[in-house]
Amino acid sequence: MKSKLTWMLTPLLVLCFSFSFAQEKTVSGNVTDETGLPLPGVSIVVVGTTNGTQTDFDGNYTINVSEGQVLRFSYLGQKSVDQTVGSGSTINVQMETDAQALEEVIVTGQGSGIERRKLSTTVDVLDEEDIDKLPANQIDQLLQATAPSAQIRLSSGQPGTASVIRTRGPISAATSSTPVVIVDGVRVDNLNSNPELGIATGGLQTSALADIPVESIERIEYIKGGAATTLYGADAANGVIQIITKKGRDGRASAFFESRLGVISATDDFLKYERTKEALFDTGFSQEFRVGINGGSEKFSYNFGGSLYKDDSFNLLNEQVRRTFTFGLTAKVSDKLRYQGSFSYVNFDSNLDYNANTSFSRFSAFEGGGRGNLDELTPEQWQSELDRSNAIGPLVDNTSSTNRFTASNKFIYDFSPNFQANFTIGVDNRNTVQEVLQSNAFQVAIGAVAEGTTDQGSLSRSLRSAFTVTSDLNFTHKANLDNFSFVTILGGQFFRTSDRQNQLNGSGGVDGTRSLNNFSEQTLADFVLENANYGLYFLENIGLWDVAFVELGGRFDRNTSAGDNTDALFLPKAGITYNLSSHDFWRDSNISNILSTVRLRANYGEATNFAQPFSQDRTFAQNPFLGAPSFTFANPGNNELISETVATTEFGAELGFFNDRLFLSGTRYVAITEDALFTPQSAPSSGQLNQIQNIGEVENKGWEFELRATPIQTEKHTLSFNASYNTNENRVTDAGGAPAFVVGGFTVLGSVVDEGQSLGFLRGTAAVLQDDGTYDFEFNSFLGDTFAPNFGSLGLNYRWGDFNFYANADYQWGGKITDLSFLLRHLRGVDNTGIPEELIGTTSPFNYTNFFVFDNDFLKVRTIGASYDFGPIAKGVFSNIRLGVTVSNPFNFTAGDFDPETTGSGISGQNGFASGGFAYGIESPPRIFMSSLKFEF
Amino acid sequence: MKKIIFTVLGGLLLFSCTNGFDDVVDFTEVENPNLSEGSVVGVPNSSTIWLAGLERQTAIALNEILVLAELGSDNYVNTQTFFSQFLDDLVIVPTDPDMRDTQRQIQRLRELALFGLSTVGPGDPNYTADIEAEYNFYAGLSYLYSAMYFSALPAEPTGVPISSADHYQNAIASFDAALAISAKPEYHLGKARAYYYLGNQAQAVSSAQSALALGSDFDRVINFDESNGPSNIFENALYERATFDDLQPLPTLDFLDPKYSFLTPERDAPVHILKAEEAYLILAEANLADGNAGAAQTNMTGLLDVIATREVRTIDDSIEQRSEFEPATRPDSDDIVVNGRSGLVLDRQNGNVDVPSVSGTSLTAADVPSITADDAGLTLLYRTRQEVFIAEGIRFVDMGVKLIIDENEVLLNENISEGDAGTEPVIPSFIQAVIPDLDAINYVPGSGVATTTIDLNEILVANKTAPEVLPFH
Repeated sequence: MKSKLTWMLTPLLVLCFSFSFAQEKTVSGNVTDETGLPLPGVSIVVVGTTNGTQTDFDGNYTINVSEGQVLRFSYLGQKSVDQTVGSGSTINVQMETDAQALEEVIVTGQGSGIERRKLSTTVDVLDEEDIDKLPANQIDQLLQATAPSAQIRLSSGQPGTASVIRTRGPISAATSSTPVVIVDGVRVDNLNSNPELGIATGGLQTSALADIPVESIERIEYIKGGAATTLYGADAANGVIQIITKKGRDGRASAFFESRLGVISATDDFLKYERTKEALFDTGFSQEFRVGINGGSEKFSYNFGGSLYKDDSFNLLNEQVRRTFTFGLTAKVSDKLRYQGSFSYVNFDSNLDYNANTSFSRFSAFEGGGRGNLDELTPEQWQSELDRSNAIGPLVDNTSSTNRFTASNKFIYDFSPNFQANFTIGVDNRNTVQEVLQSNAFQVAIGAVAEGTTDQGSLSRSLRSAFTVTSDLNFTHKANLDNFSFVTILGGQFFRTSDRQNQLNGSGGVDGTRSLNNFSEQTLADFVLENANYGLYFLENIGLWDVAFVELGGRFDRNTSAGDNTDALFLPKAGITYNLSSHDFWRDSNISNILSTVRLRANYGEATNFAQPFSQDRTFAQNPFLGAPSFTFANPGNNELISETVATTEFGAELGFFNDRLFLSGTRYVAITEDALFTPQSAPSSGQLNQIQNIGEVENKGWEFELRATPIQTEKHTLSFNASYNTNENRVTDAGGAPAFVVGGFTVLGSVVDEGQSLGFLRGTAAVLQDDGTYDFEFNSFLGDTFAPNFGSLGLNYRWGDFNFYANADYQWGGKITDLSFLLRHLRGVDNTGIPEELIGTTSPFNYTNFFVFDNDFLKVRTIGASYDFGPIAKGVFSNIRLGVTVSNPFNFTAGDFDPETTGSGISGQNGFASGGFAYGIESPPRIFMSSLKFEF
Repeated sequence: MKKIIFTVLGGLLLFSCTNGFDDVVDFTEVENPNLSEGSVVGVPNSSTIWLAGLERQTAIALNEILVLAELGSDNYVNTQTFFSQFLDDLVIVPTDPDMRDTQRQIQRLRELALFGLSTVGPGDPNYTADIEAEYNFYAGLSYLYSAMYFSALPAEPTGVPISSADHYQNAIASFDAALAISAKPEYHLGKARAYYYLGNQAQAVSSAQSALALGSDFDRVINFDESNGPSNIFENALYERATFDDLQPLPTLDFLDPKYSFLTPERDAPVHILKAEEAYLILAEANLADGNAGAAQTNMTGLLDVIATREVRTIDDSIEQRSEFEPATRPDSDDIVVNGRSGLVLDRQNGNVDVPSVSGTSLTAADVPSITADDAGLTLLYRTRQEVFIAEGIRFVDMGVKLIIDENEVLLNENISEGDAGTEPVIPSFIQAVIPDLDAINYVPGSGVATTTIDLNEILVANKTAPEVLPFH
């Protein structure tokens, strides 16, 4: 592997070094800001050439240049400065702040972007620096503990695992709460669960989020649902994660090479039995190499990023390999037309273990009492278990391989400085092949067939091809009158998704083959989803004296998953924001020295989720049965089916103190899901399948608070921390007359939708102690809300010169979760912890399910890391060398003695509802100790 | 630049003028790949395909029924599975999803059969009388199962629940409709069973005789599709060890387990829903009720003759432990004597074992004279009934237990309120009294002797006059 990589990198390194030039004269100097502080990283280019450099950490630079040539100094947030080279050899420059450039522009799918202070909604942003220092390879892992008002729970430690993501509560019983993901304006596959025809390995859920490339990201915007996502329409009610990739910068070419090495150790905090660790876990290693090249001129800039990653996980089985490259460019075609393109390729291969609810899983068998009470086994018995486990392990053969291409093209045409058109067109194509091979040898080892069986091998292959095409054309007009400003956006968006799945199964096979041709019995199944969505949107943002802004907008939205008897939906939005601290009187008064920012905002907006495509149609099914076709009723159909609409009203304020070194943000939201899509049970006497209908109403309300503080900010030291606290109160306010129905988990202990309760609350039979000492069994008892109503994150960053230390954590409390492994241990008679004696053995454990439900509170430290910039210690070769160390998942504090996040078995497939109310039989994400060494050229 | 704009505009203009290019630039069309009603109704040969769907649906319904009925009876105990956690203890509650699924699948069979009769059949130019007879037969089966397992259930979507007796009458009407078109022994036997449970001895005997007249060893089965599904879930429970499957038979029935075992990768073991044995047993029981032991013995000899022709499969069942979770804690050797009888337990760990796949019994020709017209004879007959029908869902009905209407039906059907007929389980008092003992055994590993805590056949016979059991008494 290493030698191969060296060969692959050599041409790239050669390419990097080729950016060195010999010149006639050496000019040096120092660049400072308005206050005289040195500015590191200022780009200095010789105009009309590709020659350039950057200032070092003390603002100093040196460049070879000819007399008469012009040096252009540019730096984000500062006005560019041009200096003609004279006879002298020193040019010092003091740059001026560019107030307009410093104002953060949010892309938000609203034409050409809009300044943050004009928006009445909030957006969480992760910039390049934040992203760069996190060790994660998955987009949801990056956002975990860093997006202040998002709750992100990875459902296992298996490769490519799915997550439960939510911001403002569970808004839908019909779909997962995963946001739409948009890369450079193009929607990408965001299936955050097993596909309909995915392989069955027990409780593991795989995710399309696992192979969205995280290299070359310039910025991530996390836009929560409601008014902020109205213009996205369709399924944006859960919010939007918008990824903007690097397209290169005008300036000297730069490059980097980074090597990351990690040690992966299993998280054993939650194991019931130490012996499980002995049998299955084994510390592994990860290796990753990344390269990047970035540069360009005024007319053309580019960015290339590539990486190779491999790890052998924390156990004896899992391995994953990831290969990616990305490319982005910006070209100025003419004075008025710009083109931005980006392309990424990801290959992600992994193998998966069995887990949770299959007896093929060694982990869940050990932890669920399936092999007895491991603590009580004699050394001989345990050795026999170890031998069995070690015989099975190498025969487990579940693989997943994904190839993904994403491409985006954006054309920006400036009719005038105030009138711009944007056209985006792009595609995302993700192809996954997953296989489960159960050889005869494996089945014999696991005890599923008799010793000596040679003709019952089976192979399942699941193929999924997800394709999305997105196009968007919009026009933005900006106008400024004396006291008023206007931003007008008019646009149209179209996207189409297709999800084609095939499952091919072979059985009755001998060992030694992965070709279905070699199996005596072959079957297949297919599954297709297609949806086309199109909408027209408009937005008017009116500025009043540049302090208050009124937004009015909306979207006409239509998609092909609606019933025949329905019309396009109109989704309105309106908002107002008032920047009190932008008044001249405020800025001129002494109060602004203390209270530097005061901003108030309010808005209303609607966004939607659509039902699974084709669920509106009445259909019949023709199933193969005994070698012939057979008909039956399939979907009953619903001509009136429309998207569910989430109407959100929010109020908020931002307060900044002492030049915003202490910054507080608070938001109150109330989101009502109208025409909520419920799939209740049909009356059994109808003999029909259940039909999704717009019969419900769900309410989510809560508070979002964020605090950012920088108590220390000196020339050498910066200490900052952030904390967030969010609440969510969720309730099904109307079930449309439908009886309670199960949306996840298990039948007698389910995650349920019922009027007056939270979505997906836990329900089961509770044994309640009576005065006379006996127990009453109360059916359908409320056992707890699965979503923790209190959650947030914590972060710390300390910089001392070139040294940086950082840490983040997140927490939740107030929810409940079922410990299914405990339930199984109890069913198998090896664990009666906390169960009243009177109940044990006298009735079914499913009559006292309340004893298996626990608090899901936790505080988890996700990342602790440090980095040091050595600067140009190897002058002429590297502009900087950065050494970094991180540890992921170092500390877990939980209410129960199991991991409340390992909830894969409670997630419904094909983007179904995920309550996360069932922890069961799967490993927790591991601890990863990682070092990185980054060489910048 | 202008050139580019004009070129693009020109191109767009060209697209809009060219009809043939519509599908190249229109991406809004989606096509549901599934079948619409127009592809099923009015299409030649659709009635044949619909009929295959009825057998498939019956297989699905049996998958629901058998687990509940066998666990609810004394035949099997659930030692560690996710199959029903309630029925072993005869906990019958409206919230149990197995309740819901069982009645849904039975009633889906009815709706499919009736849609075949009303719509699919008449719409098919190739609709035949035989197919129509079969549609009636499956409609009859759905009514029969409604009657056997529920004390009351609607007979139409969100309809008024009708009693078990009325469902038996509906079943008889449907079987008669089938017989009016085509005479098959199982159609008669369906009637015989309905009359048997109704306690109508004369009609039951008449139908049983008609059935045997058409075939002395007929066996109507429902097949299962191992590769495409539905596979035989009860076979998974009894034989495969892929999931948490470990149902253990009463040691007196050990030699009959597993009735269902691996067949081929394509087909799973069938369930025998109406077989000639039942007619002999009905006739024998009727004769005993009339005090005619000699005739009953003749019937039982006939029964043994049929059983002797039935397949006995030689299988490797070494993966099955007694029990799976705690091997050797239940009788597992062929030298173990159960309730004073030997030869009832198989040793599965030393070579292949022979297990009857259709019907088996411990009754021998030598035992036949013991079938006398008294309680002892009746007990022997009931023991044979239990053995012959193991894993077929009959024992549960013979115990007189009935399931209840699911809570969703109660909530969605305005004709039903809590407390109505069918919303409370039926468990005869003499069964209620022995629930903890239904599957209980006394066995000390290595002792070579095992006993069942109770003999349910004796209890049933002792309560033969109760309305819920032994309908001819």
